[in-house]
Amino acid sequence: MYQSESVIRNHYNNINEWLEKMTAKVINEKNAEAETHFRNIGITFSTNSETARERIIPFDLIPRIFTFSEWSKLEKGVIQRAKALNAFLADIYNQGEIIKANIIPKELIFKKKSYEVAMVGYTPPRSIYSPIIGIDLVRTNHNEYFVLEDNCRTPSGVSYMLENREIMMRMFPDLFHTNRVTPIDDYPTRLLQTLMSLAPVKCSTSEPVCVLLTPGPLNSAYYEHSFLSDQMGIEMVESTDLFVEGEFLYMKTVDGPKKVDVVYRRIDDDFLDPLCFNPNSVIGIPGIMDVYRTGGVNICSAPGAGIADDKAIYIYVPEMIKFYLGEQPILENVQTWSCDIDDDLNYVLDNLSDLVVKEVDGSGGYGMLIGPKSSKSLIEEFRRKLSTNPRGYIAQPLLDLSFSPTLIKNQVEGRRVDLRPFCLMGENAQLSSGGLTRVAMNEGSFVVNSSQGGGVKDTWVLAE
Amino acid sequence: MLSRTAQYLYWISRYMERAETNARLLDVGYRMSLFPNPNGYNNEWESVLAAAGAIEGYKIKYNIIEQKKVEDYLFFDEDNPSSVFNCILNARNNALVVRTSFTPESWLAINKTYQEILKLKNNNFYASDLPNLTEWTIEQVNLFRGSLSSLLRNDGYNFLYLGLFVERADNSARLLDVKYFVLLPKPQYIGGNIDNMQWSILLRSLSSFNAFRWAYDGNVTSTKIADFLVLNSDCPRSLSFCIQNIVKHLTNLTCSPEKVSKIYNTLKDLNIKIQEEKIESIVDFGLHEFVTQFINKISSVDSDIQKEFFN
Repeated sequence: MYQSESVIRNHYNNINEWLEKMTAKVINEKNAEAETHFRNIGITFSTNSETARERIIPFDLIPRIFTFSEWSKLEKGVIQRAKALNAFLADIYNQGEIIKANIIPKELIFKKKSYEVAMVGYTPPRSIYSPIIGIDLVRTNHNEYFVLEDNCRTPSGVSYMLENREIMMRMFPDLFHTNRVTPIDDYPTRLLQTLMSLAPVKCSTSEPVCVLLTPGPLNSAYYEHSFLSDQMGIEMVESTDLFVEGEFLYMKTVDGPKKVDVVYRRIDDDFLDPLCFNPNSVIGIPGIMDVYRTGGVNICSAPGAGIADDKAIYIYVPEMIKFYLGEQPILENVQTWSCDIDDDLNYVLDNLSDLVVKEVDGSGGYGMLIGPKSSKSLIEEFRRKLSTNPRGYIAQPLLDLSFSPTLIKNQVEGRRVDLRPFCLMGENAQLSSGGLTRVAMNEGSFVVNSSQGGGVKDTWVLAE
Repeated sequence: MLSRTAQYLYWISRYMERAETNARLLDVGYRMSLFPNPNGYNNEWESVLAAAGAIEGYKIKYNIIEQKKVEDYLFFDEDNPSSVFNCILNARNNALVVRTSFTPESWLAINKTYQEILKLKNNNFYASDLPNLTEWTIEQVNLFRGSLSSLLRNDGYNFLYLGLFVERADNSARLLDVKYFVLLPKPQYIGGNIDNMQWSILLRSLSSFNAFRWAYDGNVTSTKIADFLVLNSDCPRSLSFCIQNIVKHLTNLTCSPEKVSKIYNTLKDLNIKIQEEKIESIVDFGLHEFVTQFINKISSVDSDIQKEFFN
């Protein structure tokens, strides 16, 4: 919000006035109202360790604001990146041109667990492997955004983006009279259009039947699954509701079997088909991969799409953009050292106390080292890990993430934020007019993950 | 509609109905404990446990029957599969899965109930709180039922109501069976003060205490009460009312007509009989035998519904 020490950026003026008018009492009431609302609608999540039945994510009342021009640049950059990632997937499961051109070493791709052999030689409809991509962005200084991470499998968080807006409109209608905020509530409609535009070859109807496949109520994103299927008006199914017969996939209904054309799956590759992937999986639909490869059904995202958001592949995304699209990358990567390269590894080992080290396959803010914030013993522990398994890690500088004003005990304080907008790739490529802003609620913290004390904010894109 | 969705909807209203029945039973026990009898005070709690079908489970856990323990067992205890808490928990977990199949208000009604009972459970409660707890439960169940009125009248709606009336038919029949014979070894006992009080238990536990007075003139007789609870189709808890509504919601289903008529055929005779029968001939035949047959029929309809639609 602040340009420098105390100069407020122009587009935050309205919000600042609004904040100054609110008393501590009102703020407390509104916070309680938001919490009750989130609990009542059930937008809760479960964490690995908690004994509590369910937790809600802390919600901060102060929105994060983007101007139209700021957003336009992000929009172009994210869409560009999403196109390149899909082109990359189409390439490595077919000709492998980028490997032949010596841009990405083949060991980096073919040895990964997320590279799916069953996908080789098959191209999904419109050549789109990952129709919903969440790109995590951070700003370090004035108007400079970096990509922290790509999410090509089943990025979550979009229900928070939508519900945060709903609660803000409900609690502070006046804010929306005085600020021209681009609406986001058409996202579910666009998502459904995207899925419908990706009907499989053998689908003969103009209105393909789409379903959302969830692992079930114990999954931490279950609320989002039911929310999205409700908003789209499609069935939310578990794998036991689906079965394969002949060349097609069906769901079990009170009317008998009903054919399914597009599966928006929110379960991992491993649990899709016990005949093809993990034979020990008790969830999964035996035979779905055969139906998929013969054009009887489409699975979104495609099995094996996860290779594109591998942290070791991330390093090469700017190269992909140049290679496949012939364009210069609009958004830059964070500088990254790949520990399986000797020179990089040596640099990382020499500078461990200044760097952030992440597991290549890790997520959720677990299993990482934040050098400047860590004890000597933890740093030494990572030194041993890096030496024994260098390929498992990457390192990045500790970014000075931008601060966003956040209400902490009724005082406005700066807290670090990131942003995840959602890009849809179907007949059209489009970006949500907003995204999920995550905020590190603890003072001095760099970790925005909800599993580790992160909160969320409404994210505004101002109309032109 | 997914088979699993239909199944969950069916069970949500069964659980909500069961929560109400248990709360009403507790209320009856509480009320009876306030009235003196020749031996000191009434101990209604054993018969409350029996009527709730919870006596065996209770005895595994406790040696003596006392108010506080019975209340806790029937209301909050997670070891009792039919406790009000477990009914609400189960209804809520099912609702979580099928929330897209009913209105946001229905989900809110169930989820708020769940959030509140979690708080109630964590507070210490006192015996004198019981009337508030039962009143609260009945209010919550009514809130849920009220929310159903804005549903689309589709198959989901009919499965919800099938669950409600299958559960209610079963609850009413069991209460009638347990209470009628506990209370009434011989018909001529009716008339004394104690008997009147005992009768009020049965009617109150079926939320029909006042309604009975309005429906029948003159003296209270066992035959009138049996008529009210078995054959009177104005009484929303009578066996007749339940069976008619099961038939109504079953035949309103638009899915799988052949399955509907298959189940309907097994119910048809009972439905006609209960509308034409006179209470005197049922009593002659044996009310216990009649109720037993009824319970068996409902249970076979329940398993037919589960087998035909949910598998």
